[in-house]
Amino acid sequence: MELNNVLDFPILSVSIFLPTFGALVIWLFVRGDQAVRWSALAVSVATFLATLPLAFRFDTTTAHMQFEEFHPWIERFNINYHLGVDGISMPFILLTSLLTVVCIVSAWQCIEKRVKEYMLAFLILETTLIGVFSALDSILFYFFWEAMLIPMYLIIGVWGGKNRVYATIKFFLYTLAGSVLMLVALLAMYFKAGHTFSILDFMDYPFDFTWQFWIFLAFLIAFAVKVPMWPVHTWLPDAHTEAPTAGSVILAGILLKMGAYGFLRFSLPICPDASQYFVPLMVTLSLIAIIYISLVAMMQKDMKRLIAYSSIAHMGFVTLGTFMFTQQAVEGAIINMISHGFVAAALFLCVGVMYDRLHTREIADYGGVVNVMPVFAAVFMVFAMANVALPGASAFVGEIMVLIGTFSATPIYLDFSTKWVAIGAATSIVLSACYTLWMYKRVIMGDLVKDTVKSMPDMSVREFGYFVPLILLVVWIGLYPLPVLDVMHASVEHLVEQATASKLDMAVALTQHAGGH
Amino acid sequence: MANVVFPFPFPEHLIALLPEIIVALAAMFILLFDLFLSGERKKWSGWLAIITTVVAADATIRLSTPEPMVAFYGMFVLDPFAVFTKVLICMATAFGMILSLDYMKDEENTGEYYALMLFAMLGMMLMVSSNNFITMYLGLELMALSVYVLVGYQRHVLRSSEAALKYFILGALSSGMLLYGVSFMYGITGSFDFAAIGNALAEGTEGAHTAALLGMVFLLAGLGFKVSMAPFHMWTPDAYEGAPTPITAFMSVAPKVAGFVVLMRVLVDVLPSLQGEYITVFSGLAVLTMAIGNIAAIAQRNIKRMLAYSTIGHVGFVMLGLIAANADGYAGVLTYLAIYLPMTMGAFAIIVLMRREGIQGELLDDFAGLAKVRPVYGLAMGLMLFSLAGIPFLGGFWAKYAVFIAAIEAGHLYLALLGVLFSAVGAFYYIRVVKYIYFDEERVAFNFADSRLIQATVAVTAVAIVAIGIFPDPLMDICKAALVGLV
Repeated sequence: MELNNVLDFPILSVSIFLPTFGALVIWLFVRGDQAVRWSALAVSVATFLATLPLAFRFDTTTAHMQFEEFHPWIERFNINYHLGVDGISMPFILLTSLLTVVCIVSAWQCIEKRVKEYMLAFLILETTLIGVFSALDSILFYFFWEAMLIPMYLIIGVWGGKNRVYATIKFFLYTLAGSVLMLVALLAMYFKAGHTFSILDFMDYPFDFTWQFWIFLAFLIAFAVKVPMWPVHTWLPDAHTEAPTAGSVILAGILLKMGAYGFLRFSLPICPDASQYFVPLMVTLSLIAIIYISLVAMMQKDMKRLIAYSSIAHMGFVTLGTFMFTQQAVEGAIINMISHGFVAAALFLCVGVMYDRLHTREIADYGGVVNVMPVFAAVFMVFAMANVALPGASAFVGEIMVLIGTFSATPIYLDFSTKWVAIGAATSIVLSACYTLWMYKRVIMGDLVKDTVKSMPDMSVREFGYFVPLILLVVWIGLYPLPVLDVMHASVEHLVEQATASKLDMAVALTQHAGGH
Repeated sequence: MANVVFPFPFPEHLIALLPEIIVALAAMFILLFDLFLSGERKKWSGWLAIITTVVAADATIRLSTPEPMVAFYGMFVLDPFAVFTKVLICMATAFGMILSLDYMKDEENTGEYYALMLFAMLGMMLMVSSNNFITMYLGLELMALSVYVLVGYQRHVLRSSEAALKYFILGALSSGMLLYGVSFMYGITGSFDFAAIGNALAEGTEGAHTAALLGMVFLLAGLGFKVSMAPFHMWTPDAYEGAPTPITAFMSVAPKVAGFVVLMRVLVDVLPSLQGEYITVFSGLAVLTMAIGNIAAIAQRNIKRMLAYSTIGHVGFVMLGLIAANADGYAGVLTYLAIYLPMTMGAFAIIVLMRREGIQGELLDDFAGLAKVRPVYGLAMGLMLFSLAGIPFLGGFWAKYAVFIAAIEAGHLYLALLGVLFSAVGAFYYIRVVKYIYFDEERVAFNFADSRLIQATVAVTAVAIVAIGIFPDPLMDICKAALVGLV
C-alpha cells in the first residue's frame, strides 16, 4: 500500500498523542495548581506547533489523503490504525489545537477547584478530537468519537453550573444513543463491503439503494445529534448553559463540527444516492433550525443559552450547504464551520469574561457595561458583528457562499426551486442580527444603573490576549479567504464528484456479476 | 499426552485430572489445617487457598495440548477450550479470595470459607471439562451447593441467610429441571455422552425430534438459571445483595463462565440438530434478558443489586454470541467473559473497600464524592463503570464489539440493533454512579481502612481493561485458539 506522507514522520500520531502523553506526565509529576496550568499550556502550545506543518506542507493540488500513516491494529477484523487528512479535515485539526490553547488560557482563573483534573480532561479531549478528524478507519473513528464522551461528561458535570448533572447526563445519553446506531451500521457494512473498515473502501464500494437508505439513516441519527439538528438539539442549550466557559468554547468550536464533518466524510461519499434522496428532509430540518431556532434564540434571557441557540441556527446553514452538492455551497459550509468555531468560541469567552465578574449570565442583570469596560465592549462588538455575518467577517464569506451555492443547486429530489430555500435561509441574516444586536444593546449599551455593574473592571491583558488571535482570524478569513479555500478546493471538488455520481449502476452490475456465477 | 514428568508414581489415565486432584486435596487439607490455627494466623488458610488456585491454573496450562486429553472413558475431557475457561475460573476464584482476606477476617471459621470456595472452583472445573451429562451434573451440584453456603456465610446477618435460602430453593428447582431434561435425552438416545446424544438425535425420527425438543427446553431452563438468563433470573438480585461482597464478585464471574461453557458444549455437541429451534428460543430470551437487566438496574439504589441486574444485562449480550452459533460467536462469548472478569472484579474490589464504620457502603449515596477525597479510587471506579458501559479505549467496548459483530455476521442484525440500544440504556445507570463519584459532595466520611491487597487488585484490573481496550488483538487470538476443543 502506497502511503502519501511528505514528511517521513508520523506527524498525525504525534499531534494525537502528544496531549495525552503530556497529560500523563502532568498527572504523575506536576504538583501545585499554578505549575499544572503552565505545564498544560506548554503541552497545548507544543501540540499546536506540532500541527502547524500540516498547513505549511499541505499539497493543495490533490484530493488524496496526505500525511498518511498505516499500521495493522486488529488483524482478525482487518481494523487498521490508518490516519490521513485531506483539505476537509486538515483545517479542523488546526482549529482544535488552536482552540485548546485558548481554552486553557481562558480557564486560568475561573477554574479554581480541581485544576489538575480539569487540565487533564482538556488535554485528553484534544487527543480524541484530533483523532476523529484524522482517522481513516471507521472503527478508529468510532473509537475516538466515543472516547470523547468521557472527558466531556466530566468537564460539564464537575465544573458546570447548578443544573450541570442533568445537562451532562442528557448530553451523554443523547450522543451515545446516536452513535451506537452508527456502530451497527459500520459492522453491517464491514461484511457487505468485503471485510473492511476502511472509510476509503466504503466510499468506493457500490452499496445498493436499500443499503444506502439504512446506512444514511443510521449515520443521520448519530451525526444529527452531534450537529445538533432540530429536533434532537435539546441537549445543547442545557449542556452549554451548564458547561464552564472553556467547555462551551470547545463544545461550540469543535464538537458541533464533528457531526457536520461526519456528513462530509461518511454520508455524502458513501451513500450518494440516499443523500440525494434525503435532500428534502435535510433542507426542511436545516430551514427549521435556521428560522425557528433563531426565533427561539431571540427570546432567551440567559446569554449562554442565546448563543447556544444561535449556534444551532448557524449549524443549520452548514447542513443546508452540505446537502446542496455544489462546490460553492459545500465550501461555504466548511468556511461557516471554521468561522463559527472562532465566533461562537469568542462569544462564549465574552460571556465568560462577564460571568467571572458578576457570576450571572442573565441579560437582565447587566446594562451599560460599555461605561465601565470600553475595551471589552469593543471586542464584544467585533464578535457580535461577526455573528451577524457582517461583510468583512468570516461568517459573511461562509453564509454568502452557501446562499449562492444554494441558488445555483439543482437537487433531483426537490420538487421546488432552490431559490425558495435560499430565500428562507437568507432570513437568518435578519434574524441573527435581531437576536445578537438586541442582546448587545441590552447588555452593553444603556445607562449605568446597576451598582454591581459599576464595579466591573475592564479586561486584563491575559483576557485580551486570547481574543487577539480570534479577532485576527475572523477578519483575515473575512477579507481574504483564498488560502483557506485553496486548501479545501481539490478535496471538495472530489467530494462533490463522489456525491453526485450514482452508485446504483455499479451496484446493479455487481449483483448481476455475482448472480452470473 | 503432555510431557509432564512426575517425581512420584501417578496413574497415567488420570493425568488430565491433575489440576482437579490438586484442588480437591488442597481443599481437604485446608479444612483440617485450619483447626490448628487461631487469631491472626487464620489468614494462612486464605493464602494457602490462593496459592492453590495459582497452582491449579499453572498445572492446567502446563497440561495443555492442542489434542484433547480424555479421562474416565471420555466422560472428562481437557481440551484448549477447557484449559482457557479453567484459567478464567481460577483467576476469578483467586480474586474472590484476595478480596475476602480483609473483608472476612472477623468472621468465624474462615478456613471452611476458603475450602468451600475451592470446592466451588473444583465443581466449575469439572463442569467445563465434562463431556457427559453425569460429570456435568456432578460438577454443577458441587459448585451450586458450595455457593449456597457461601452466600449464607454471614449467618448472623438476616439478609445473608434469606438470600441463601432463596437461592437454594430456586437452585434446587432448576437442578430438577435440568435433570428432567437430561432424563429426556437419555430416554431418547440411551446415552449420557454429549457427542453420542448429538449423533443419535441427528439421525433420529420425527417423534424423537419432538421429544428432544421438550428435553431441550428443560435443559436450557436449568442452565439458564445458573447463568441468570431471564426469566430465570429472579434469584440474582437477592443473592447478590445478601452474599458477602467478595462472594458476590466471585459468583458474578466464575459460575457464569462455567455455565456458559456448559451451554456452549451442549449447544454444539448435543443440540446441533435443533439449532433452528434453540436459536429461536434464545433470540426471544436474549431480548428479554437485555431488557430486564438494563431497565431494572436503573431503579436500584444499592450498588450490589444494581450490578446484579447489570450482570443479567451482560448475560443478554453474551447470549448474542451463542445465537450467532459460529466460530466468531463462540470466540466472542469467551472474549466477553474474559473482559468481564477484570472489570467486574475491579468494581467489586472498590465496593468491598467502601465498607466502613457502621455502614455497608453499598448504597449509591455512600460513593458520593469519592473522586474528591480519594481521586485514584474514584478514577479506577470510573474506568470500570465506563468499561461496563462499553465506551471505547476500555476493554468493555471490545467485549460488546465481539458479540455484536458475530450476531451481524450470522444475519441477526435486529438483535444487534436491540443490543446496542439496550447498552445505551445501560450506560445511564453506570454513568449515574460516576455522577455520584465525581459530581457530588462527600456525604459519609471515607474513613475506610485501606488495604494493600485491594490496591493491588484495583491496579491490576484497571491496567488490564485499559491494555485490552487499546490492544485487544492478543486476547481475541487466544479466545479464537481456545475454540479448538469446541468446534
